[in-house]
Amino acid sequence: MGHKNRHVGIIGIGQTTYSSHREDVNQPEMIQEAVALALKDSGLKIDDIECVVHGNMELFEMIHQPDIWHVLGDGGYGKDAYRITTGGTTGITLVAAADNLVASGMYDIVMAIGFEKLQEGHTTGGITNMADPLWGRSLQTGALTGATAKDMINEFGEDRARRAAMRHRITLDKHAKLNPNSHRSFGLEYDQVEDLMDNSPKLVGELRLIHMCSQSDGACAMIFASEKKAKELSKHPVWIRDHITVHREETFNLFGHDVPELTHHYAARKLFERNGIKVPREYFDVFEMYDPSSWWGLDWLREFLLLEGDEHLRMIENDDISINGSFPLNPSGGVISANPIGATAMVRVAEAAMQIRGDAGGHQIPREVKHALASGFGGTMWTVLFMLEKELGWEEID
Amino acid sequence: MTTEHEHCYVVDGKLALPYQYLAGRVGSKFIVSLRDKKQILGVKCEKCGIVFVPPRQTCEKCLADLTKSWVELSDKGEVTNFTVVRKDDKHHPRKAPFVIALVKLEGADTPMAHIVEGIAPEKVAIGMKVKAVFAKTPTNTILDIDHFEPI
Amino acid sequence: MATYFGIAVDDIFNTMQARFRPEGAAGMDAVLAYDITGDGGGCWKITVKDNTVKIENTDDLAGFSVKTTVDAETFVGISIGKVDGMSAFSSGKMKVEGDMSLLAASPRLFNRFTPPKKGVTVHDIFATLVERFRPENATDLDMTIGYNIGGDDGGQWTAVIKDGKCVLETGLRADATITQIVTAKDFVDLVLGKLDPMVAIGAGRLRIAGDMKAAGIVPKLFAKFTPADAGEEQELIVLKRNISVNMKYSTGRHLGMFLDALKEKKIIANICPKCGRYQLPPREVCAECRCRVEDFKEVGPGGVITLIEDVYYASPDPLTGETRETPYGTVHVLLDGCTPDCTFWHFLKNEDLGNTKEGDRVQPVWAEKRDGGVHDILYFEKENG
Repeated sequence: MGHKNRHVGIIGIGQTTYSSHREDVNQPEMIQEAVALALKDSGLKIDDIECVVHGNMELFEMIHQPDIWHVLGDGGYGKDAYRITTGGTTGITLVAAADNLVASGMYDIVMAIGFEKLQEGHTTGGITNMADPLWGRSLQTGALTGATAKDMINEFGEDRARRAAMRHRITLDKHAKLNPNSHRSFGLEYDQVEDLMDNSPKLVGELRLIHMCSQSDGACAMIFASEKKAKELSKHPVWIRDHITVHREETFNLFGHDVPELTHHYAARKLFERNGIKVPREYFDVFEMYDPSSWWGLDWLREFLLLEGDEHLRMIENDDISINGSFPLNPSGGVISANPIGATAMVRVAEAAMQIRGDAGGHQIPREVKHALASGFGGTMWTVLFMLEKELGWEEID
Repeated sequence: MTTEHEHCYVVDGKLALPYQYLAGRVGSKFIVSLRDKKQILGVKCEKCGIVFVPPRQTCEKCLADLTKSWVELSDKGEVTNFTVVRKDDKHHPRKAPFVIALVKLEGADTPMAHIVEGIAPEKVAIGMKVKAVFAKTPTNTILDIDHFEPI
Repeated sequence: MATYFGIAVDDIFNTMQARFRPEGAAGMDAVLAYDITGDGGGCWKITVKDNTVKIENTDDLAGFSVKTTVDAETFVGISIGKVDGMSAFSSGKMKVEGDMSLLAASPRLFNRFTPPKKGVTVHDIFATLVERFRPENATDLDMTIGYNIGGDDGGQWTAVIKDGKCVLETGLRADATITQIVTAKDFVDLVLGKLDPMVAIGAGRLRIAGDMKAAGIVPKLFAKFTPADAGEEQELIVLKRNISVNMKYSTGRHLGMFLDALKEKKIIANICPKCGRYQLPPREVCAECRCRVEDFKEVGPGGVITLIEDVYYASPDPLTGETRETPYGTVHVLLDGCTPDCTFWHFLKNEDLGNTKEGDRVQPVWAEKRDGGVHDILYFEKENG
């Protein structure tokens, strides 16, 4: 059984549509939409859920302990309940917690809920608060940085790097167009690369508005069950093979000339090692990456897939990452297209699971998906990485 | 470990950011009714037999949709519990001392937190009958009921 | 005049004077220019000064503080909340020149544009009459209902009900079972429930010719008319607040030593006893080696820039809630004496933004009055600058 006590299956998924305009609902009402959809998807009643794990970002809506209020809509009344908040990774940490709670034997069926109503607060202002109040808070601008753009321009040349980042952006925009839940899809075309990379407003350095993720309202709920229950209750459970969480520094460190191994690379290396995955690019059929900007999405492809040199750029340039390509990246449209932050990282796992089930709808990859990878990102380079499988019976490595 | 306080000090700071809260359709109907009609609305879950005030979109127990189950309530009720706020804070709705009470309106099953005025704090008692006094100028919040006062 | 979502660009500018909120313009002295392209577009100049506003329809946009160029449809869409302004901006549909932070402040200047309420017309009611027909209440019924509606918006119609079907004809039939005679305004009010039919009949404002008994059946034959935009009419409450909470932050000994040293114009790092890396500002433990870090050493104050961040996005300073002025630069500086994985983060002198690059040497400029905080250093500037 490897290092897990028992197998855990994903048996229910519910997502609201993502939008910048949800004046029609308050927070628990918005969450309720996702909970109702997850229950419907699983065929369960709220009474079947033993435990609710709930989370979002701190300070984004400035509601203290929102989980208490949200019992109005999340079905947590009278149940064991936990609140988790770990920054941008919150959504996927919720999945990790639910997986651990079921695998441990503590509960057979757990529901995890991630949400955000970014319209209600100031996202960048909220993120700036992650910095040390006596130092970095005066200097930081939320999650906006041009550092990665600069590094890539230095490594690959200005023209190639900027084109690759825009091509990544346009590919994801095309994916978002296929996903009815997506907050934004502009209908971008590849012939707009030059116009956009020069004319989209600058945020920080070469990070432009078009590269950066949206600020969305929305919620995602997922239901997890033990192997026995999952097989009883679900026609198509998706199995959580393994997950890893890595973070390294308490502060957002910008290193000088010596850059240590980044958390994404470290997490991927460790996770693939202990699961015997030699060539991740060949093993996985889809990758739902937490890509807050196109520069990061592009750079991190190399980190997560343990690639060398410019292979990640070539993957973009050759359209390998498109939904019809050899390695589909974010068929959902990714974080750039919809980012209700506390739900965002959970949506990566949910979307990866939907690809395995084969019922992602308009953005379903047009071939069988057996192995999926999903990542979360947050805070001072937190990384959470998940492996999902269609079938049990993978080879365990100790 | 030794406790050393040299170089340790405390710096005054602030956490200040803009926010907005969206009441949603159900909450907005409740507030607009308070403001424009001086009418307190609740919702009733037919299955669980509970009348919720303030109203909510779903029943917290059975998750039934309550958006079509509006009920009009009396502006009178009774205090089911209370506390006396004795410390001033800029976020409080009144200067201390003032009374925050749980008021269960006639016809409602859930009590609602609000301010009780027009009586000395030490005289407030559980079971006391109170009546809503509506605000003269709209606030677009629950304070469109300005406070409750003894009958 | 081209309209979008039923609204012309002119409607929005022409109502601006009335929608102006002097309290939202406090302290503002600016010219907001709009170049609205496409059908129904034009150029407008909004001058805000001394809590007053002047709105001009002019092609001379010179001297603007911020200029927005956008197509008419997107402009109207944003103004009425149908189009997300941020998305339009991101995708390049809307272009902004000049001081972007003014644009962020502009929603405070005006009350939101609300389209004039389009009243329900008689034609609206007849347009949905057939689909509102309820055949279950018309079994075996054979009747014709005439509507003789006076006034500008009026007309003449006849609903023919037979074999469980309803067909609407224009014009009147002499042999109608009943005919209602009423003005357009009263008819609309009757349908919307604003006018009581018995009151209307009593006052002679509604006359019914023909079989009065049959008239009693009519209300059951049609489902209630609901205006098309009824769903959007509900007022949705939004509460805006600037939340400000007083805080006290403890420095702890390590950051405290660093802040104390700033008062003496010194920058001190601490050095991990295991891996030897420097930390700036000093931190209690090395996150890599998980050990306490007690060695301190003065570094800098000069160094080499490893990264410049030129910030254009105006975000709020969470320590005050005030919006920061942009653009500004922050720099990560590898101070002299530090290990190459440790940079020091601070501001770049505004005048040096744009003519400074990675690899340039910089030095701190100290504040006259230093009290142990990030602003004891004003910024870094180019050496020998």
